[in-house]
Amino acid sequence: MIDSLCDQAGGKDIAVVGLYCDFLSQQEQTTTNMVGGILKQLASRGEVPEDIQEAFQKAREDFGGRGLQLSDLVEVMKKVIKSLSRVFICIDALDESTPQHRRELLESLREIVRVSANTRIFLTGRPHIEDEITKGFSKVARIRLIPPPADIKSYLEMRLSRDTDPYAMDDKLRADIMRVIPEKTSKM
Amino acid sequence: MSEVSSGNQMVAGNFNSFNVSTNHNNILNFITEIDTEEHQILQWLSPLEPQRRHQGVRADRLDGIGNWVLGTIRFQEWRDREHDCVKPVLFCCGSPGVGKTYLR
Repeated sequence: MIDSLCDQAGGKDIAVVGLYCDFLSQQEQTTTNMVGGILKQLASRGEVPEDIQEAFQKAREDFGGRGLQLSDLVEVMKKVIKSLSRVFICIDALDESTPQHRRELLESLREIVRVSANTRIFLTGRPHIEDEITKGFSKVARIRLIPPPADIKSYLEMRLSRDTDPYAMDDKLRADIMRVIPEKTSKM
Repeated sequence: MSEVSSGNQMVAGNFNSFNVSTNHNNILNFITEIDTEEHQILQWLSPLEPQRRHQGVRADRLDGIGNWVLGTIRFQEWRDREHDCVKPVLFCCGSPGVGKTYLR
């Protein structure tokens, strides 16, 4: 998604940024780190925006050089987004973050979207988190991802071509795989 | 780091013949300072490196799969509508393994 947005909408004043949530990285993926991770990508597109430099200098002067609070990050992010014409934020596998982090992240995004009409959010996840998302944002567009049989067949062909034990395969088994799996998945 | 030291060596080697090389040295130091500060700021913002994961996803992705999503009116409206966009959030949902992560 990030790449096609970059290709189709990419430009000097258009930013496309993304995050991947992961069950295995829940500890590291705190809300602050995730929102900071989005801001980090906005900051590394060229020269670091002044608002971020200022916040950094200010934090460095404080005792021990403290990190940013979530609310500070959101405020800085709003300012940085204002200087761009469009911003796309893509977050993958939102269902793999902890419920608490997810709630805080959605709240932060809601606050950003509320004041930034130029911002679009793309989220992926399993269907069970839809209620949490619609609760956070008043209007949500939704696409149910059901792969068409042609996609399943291309995927199977790719996997079969990478078979590490091709001698265990014969034409009949191959034909069965190519027939049965697309059939079954279309009924799921 | 090695780039900087080889740059300094080059500057030192040319020192007697070109006055301009001193400037070169200053520029080198200057660039290094900016790099370090920028790096510090980015690390301070977050330790996460989503770009790395993205490179992995890109490498494993199969061309063409999931492209139908990009052709849907719902997606195109979400992407293209400017300030009158009523739905700034697009949620793409599906069971595990259907390819949500690998949409191009």
